[in-house]
Amino acid sequence: MDKTFFKDVAAKLEVSYEKFFIDLSTTKSYSAICRSDSFYFVFKQIILSLIHGKEVILLDSDLSDEEVSKLLGKNHLEDYPIGDIEEIEIIEFSDIQKYINVNKETWRITLFTSGTTGLPKKISHTFNSITRSVKTGNARVNDIWGFAYNPTHMAGLQVFFQAFLNHNTIIRLFGLGRSMITEQINDCSITNLSATPTFYRMLLPVDHICSSVRGMTTGGEKFDSKTLNILQSMFPNAKIRNVYASTEAGSLFSSVGDLFTLSSDFANLIRIDNNEIFLHKSLLGESAGIKLINDWYATGDLIEIYSQDPFTFKFTSRKNEMINTGGYKVNPQEVEESIRSFHGVKDVYVFGKKNSLLGNVVCCEIVKSDIFMDEKEIRDFLKDKLQEYKIPRFIKFVEKLSVTRTGKLSRRVN
Amino acid sequence: MMDKMTHILSLINLVLCNRGKVEIEAVNEGSHLRNDCDLDSLDLAELTVRIEAEYEVDIFDDGFVVTVGDILNKLN
Repeated sequence: MDKTFFKDVAAKLEVSYEKFFIDLSTTKSYSAICRSDSFYFVFKQIILSLIHGKEVILLDSDLSDEEVSKLLGKNHLEDYPIGDIEEIEIIEFSDIQKYINVNKETWRITLFTSGTTGLPKKISHTFNSITRSVKTGNARVNDIWGFAYNPTHMAGLQVFFQAFLNHNTIIRLFGLGRSMITEQINDCSITNLSATPTFYRMLLPVDHICSSVRGMTTGGEKFDSKTLNILQSMFPNAKIRNVYASTEAGSLFSSVGDLFTLSSDFANLIRIDNNEIFLHKSLLGESAGIKLINDWYATGDLIEIYSQDPFTFKFTSRKNEMINTGGYKVNPQEVEESIRSFHGVKDVYVFGKKNSLLGNVVCCEIVKSDIFMDEKEIRDFLKDKLQEYKIPRFIKFVEKLSVTRTGKLSRRVN
Repeated sequence: MMDKMTHILSLINLVLCNRGKVEIEAVNEGSHLRNDCDLDSLDLAELTVRIEAEYEVDIFDDGFVVTVGDILNKLN
């Protein structure tokens, strides 16, 4: 039987590699802008772009039209028209690899990440930078990946390339309900999982043991050891690793437990200054939005050093004010700017409140003028302006905003 | 004063209403938060924040909350 490329139970879709190759060979048109809620479509566009050596720009499907216009410019539909593509023939996996080898130096994939100021910033990756952490080999040929990220985000892309370049089967888990997720893991004998701590937390308490899973990675927020132990009982055969990754650079290093060790491959490309991690520009994607200081990028991630040789450390906190909610990073300034445009809002303050489920929940305080407004009205207004995860889930109307003793707004309430 | 069960129902409905979802008429101890009350992870997090704001209890601190009865146990 032909090997499955992708299975998406929510979309009632299962596509074999053979069918995927036919679909790639018979597609006649292409547009660089990829904004779809179909995982399969996103994967197909990425591979088509590689085969034809064309740029691909990934946008979250839930971005509002206003957000897209801000990111790509008002005339983006004319700037990135749908065009014809040459006829090709893909019969086997190696045919795709040949095209990748031809185009990989010039190919670019673009995505957006929440910037520390204002709008999300654009990051373009080359084939080498996006697949830097991909490991291939005979031992990985039969891996079956649970896909637990948004396909238009960095982490999702890394899982996609890890699976695809090993000719593996990919099973959609992102966005499914809890019982459906464990059912898919067991029915499809998923061997590898990569997900945010929030995703794993949602699987608890343990109803079913998932013994097929051998490797699990997580990253982003901190994972407490209690949850880790419960997870280990749900996935008794899995080795659980923590990965440090960012949209700017992709996966960089991993840990068992919460202690990270820097491999010698990165020795000259990572620098620590005042406990903050700096990455050399050669590790980064291309972006005008990334500010470099003498070829180094300040990540804003703060660490505590445990030993020098080998260099071992633990993450402690972040220097900037981004709110990490369920693995998504929210820039409070961007949200504040949108709320300020609501008639009658005099002042606003967006902050993250610690939450055991999502890491942080986006909350805000609003000082309003005398006119009537309620939480729902503001949230409905924001729906057309911001992605769902950026909209505050708890809005409090106050006389005066919370301020610290120094008079500065404090994002870390609680 | 409203009993706790009724209060939880009103908080669940507030979360559902804010999200543009259909409100529910009643809950009992066995009501499943995800399946019966239609709450996803973002909704559950919001519910946690609202309960914490009033009762000062983080209902998800050990990840074992599945039903309305589980919430009531945490609050008692």
